[in-house]
Amino acid sequence: MTDYPPILIVCVACVLFSYVLGPDRYIQRIILLVVIWAAASSSFNIISGYAGQIVFGFMMFVGAGAYTSGLLFKFLAISPWLGMWLGAGVAVIISLIIGIPTLRLKGAFFAIATVAFPLITIPILNHVGVQEVSIPFIGKGASSMQFRDMRYYVFIGIVLLGIILTVVRAIESSCFGYRLKALKQNETAAEAMGINTYGAKLMSFCVSAGLAALVGTLYSFGILYVMTTEAAFGFLIIIRVLSITIVGGMSTVWGPPLAACLLVPLGEWLNSQFGSRYPGVQDVIYGLALIIVILYMPEGIWGKIRRVLSASGTAAVDSRESVAVIRKGDVIKPESVQTSLKLNPNENSILFTESISKFFGGVCALDQVSLRIPRGKITGVIGPNGSGKTTLFNVINGFFPPQSGRIIFEGLDITNHSPHANCKQGIGRTFQIPQVFSNMTILENIITGAINRSKNLRDAHMAARKIALDMGLNRRVHEPALGLTLWETKVLEFSRALATQPALLLIDEPMAGLNSEEADHLGEMIKGIAASGVTIVVIEHNVHSLLRIVDYMVGLDDGKRVAEGLPQEVVNNPQIIKAYLGSRWKEEHHAGS
Amino acid sequence: MDIVIQSIIAGLLVGVSYAVLATGLALIVGVMKIINFAHAEFAVLGMYFPAYWFLQWWGIDPFISAFLAIPIYFVLGFILHRLLLERLAGSKDAENSSLIITMGLSLLIANLILIGWSGAPRVINQPYTTATWSIGTILINHAQTYSLVISLVFIVGLFLFLNKTLTGKAIKAAADDPEGCAYMGINLRFVHGLAFAVAIAMTGAGGILMATYRPFSPFFGESIIIILFASVILGGMTSISGAFFGALIIGLIQQLSAFVLPVDLQNVAVFTVLVLILYIRPEGLFGKKGRVV
Repeated sequence: MTDYPPILIVCVACVLFSYVLGPDRYIQRIILLVVIWAAASSSFNIISGYAGQIVFGFMMFVGAGAYTSGLLFKFLAISPWLGMWLGAGVAVIISLIIGIPTLRLKGAFFAIATVAFPLITIPILNHVGVQEVSIPFIGKGASSMQFRDMRYYVFIGIVLLGIILTVVRAIESSCFGYRLKALKQNETAAEAMGINTYGAKLMSFCVSAGLAALVGTLYSFGILYVMTTEAAFGFLIIIRVLSITIVGGMSTVWGPPLAACLLVPLGEWLNSQFGSRYPGVQDVIYGLALIIVILYMPEGIWGKIRRVLSASGTAAVDSRESVAVIRKGDVIKPESVQTSLKLNPNENSILFTESISKFFGGVCALDQVSLRIPRGKITGVIGPNGSGKTTLFNVINGFFPPQSGRIIFEGLDITNHSPHANCKQGIGRTFQIPQVFSNMTILENIITGAINRSKNLRDAHMAARKIALDMGLNRRVHEPALGLTLWETKVLEFSRALATQPALLLIDEPMAGLNSEEADHLGEMIKGIAASGVTIVVIEHNVHSLLRIVDYMVGLDDGKRVAEGLPQEVVNNPQIIKAYLGSRWKEEHHAGS
Repeated sequence: MDIVIQSIIAGLLVGVSYAVLATGLALIVGVMKIINFAHAEFAVLGMYFPAYWFLQWWGIDPFISAFLAIPIYFVLGFILHRLLLERLAGSKDAENSSLIITMGLSLLIANLILIGWSGAPRVINQPYTTATWSIGTILINHAQTYSLVISLVFIVGLFLFLNKTLTGKAIKAAADDPEGCAYMGINLRFVHGLAFAVAIAMTGAGGILMATYRPFSPFFGESIIIILFASVILGGMTSISGAFFGALIIGLIQQLSAFVLPVDLQNVAVFTVLVLILYIRPEGLFGKKGRVV
């Protein structure tokens, strides 16, 4: 709750500042512009900063707000106080129309796709004859949001800015904010951590759009008076908003308002001084600001300030001891797991696959694979490279839907479920190449897993702390995951997966890249996790280490299940020896036993 | 019937003029995996310098300027890559950062043109600008015909460069498998710079060819950049030949849509097709589906 008073204080200060400066229209107009661009940029920041999806077509929503309320006022005499909310509704609907199909696209595709919409809208509006809409001044004052004293507009704008900043701050400090932060860094890992990435992006898109439309109404009534399609839907808006957000700092609450205070008055001053001789001078400044900030200060002004402040605050705790120290006899005891679903507690298999097939183009990665995973056991999956092991995980996990076959988990058909739904259902996952959120701290990484099973962020925080302690990560939980060693990264990935309280954990090549001591320790860790009640499936090429921990084994070759059963049966299966282990394995193995 | 043929011819002529720029853009997207939002600005810049000013100062014909522009814009492209884009390569957020930085660059170029050479629309007045051949009732503009031929020369030249020379093969290899290239001793930074420079050279020259028959102003880029993206996306994002056919299709849609839509809604048809393609086949008409994880 300590987050919100600063917003209130700043807003009150701004209102007083504007009031004290008197009714001078020129000065108040600049203040209003600062407030409007700060508010528009802050709403842009939700989808493009926090959710990381840059919307080049953002003017669509400002324009939708401006045009909806403007047209309703002009033709139906509907007060802009109502019109602004109707405009926000229209913008949200438009954001759904744009977002539902385009948010599946990645990065720059999405940015470009969104620009097409205002470019379609402008000619259509021009064509139907509303290229220019002058808002009639009816002199009714407050009820029609029309004032001669600009300070009223500034006041409305600051209230709006305060609301938007509060929304931004609320998102930042909520579970939803965590989900956005995670999916921005790594969508694959976020999905595996039970985050509905598509839903979260769509949600933030709608919020951004709605807030931008509110700003749009104020823009048309307080600044434009005569709306043109070019002013409401043109590139000018995205240029201002993008520059202000980038210069101030993406994903920061105070960055956009701060940058608006700097850039907007500078631009207006340059325009008044040199605008007649050099008409594009204002946009030159915005263009230069974009380039310089991206090159030399990509985190933006506020991002930089925040980093300097936090560096001076926590410098003392920096000790360079290893995060996760391997100690002999460490037994990892994660919380025993409770899934929401226990339909067949007497069934001794937790997961079945029924003849699942998966093709990539003409390549058959999985060919009619049927297998069962025994409950409470550790199952090993072996097979040569390209035999479909990781694809099997991706299909079970929901990253790839299979072309045929069914997957039954705890008696429930999960064949076409998404990874995040499967995570909620109780299927955890670690990756061959660890996928941690490298810009988040160790604790934050674990929290993204824990929020699936927690009522609120505080609970998730506590649960994550406990897991960090269990897994031996508690010493430096506040350090970023970026600098961790491979071993530490793997422990972190395990901790994060355990935080989702899985009933079934899919582990992909955990020992790759580890030395033998670390590999042994990891084997112990896996056994410890299994002992706490989690069923485990593990892909591993280190067959010797694998044999020490598994109870059951599956052998794959060329997309087919060629062997399944007790470990010794599988490694002695002639087909597995021929395709994978090699004849020397047999000799060594027999010599050994 | 003649009017349909006339429109198809017009569509192909416009399409090829887009194709010169779009193939360059596809080369950048394919090799560097970034989006150049400032791409069209280089075409606009080429219309002013060298085309317009060389004609004003020394009476050099724009079609000659188109060839002179190639070395000028090659160097400009190489320098801009060094200054702006090189350090972004490889960073996790390279895609978004380069999109934003090229957005800044496009603002800068368009507004510097506005400041330097005013916003008044300009026309290149040469005998061929308005002259036409007529075949029956079908009219074909001289300048557009010359432009078509030179455009095809540029595009074929790009294909030969990429497929027949060692440097070109290095660029193609870098697009396919950057890591593999690094192991094979290919200097990725240099190759990226080269690809960017070649693409900008194509674009500068392509802009000049457009300027021989249509008026232009500083913000002309704004109106064609999305058309170029539409071509590239239609062509499967990274495929140069795809972008070529994508541009032809866009040109045809633009001209043929006049039969069903009012003229001022021409671009609405193009952008609607772009949106539909993104909805239905985000990998483009000629692109392949990639693996996700």
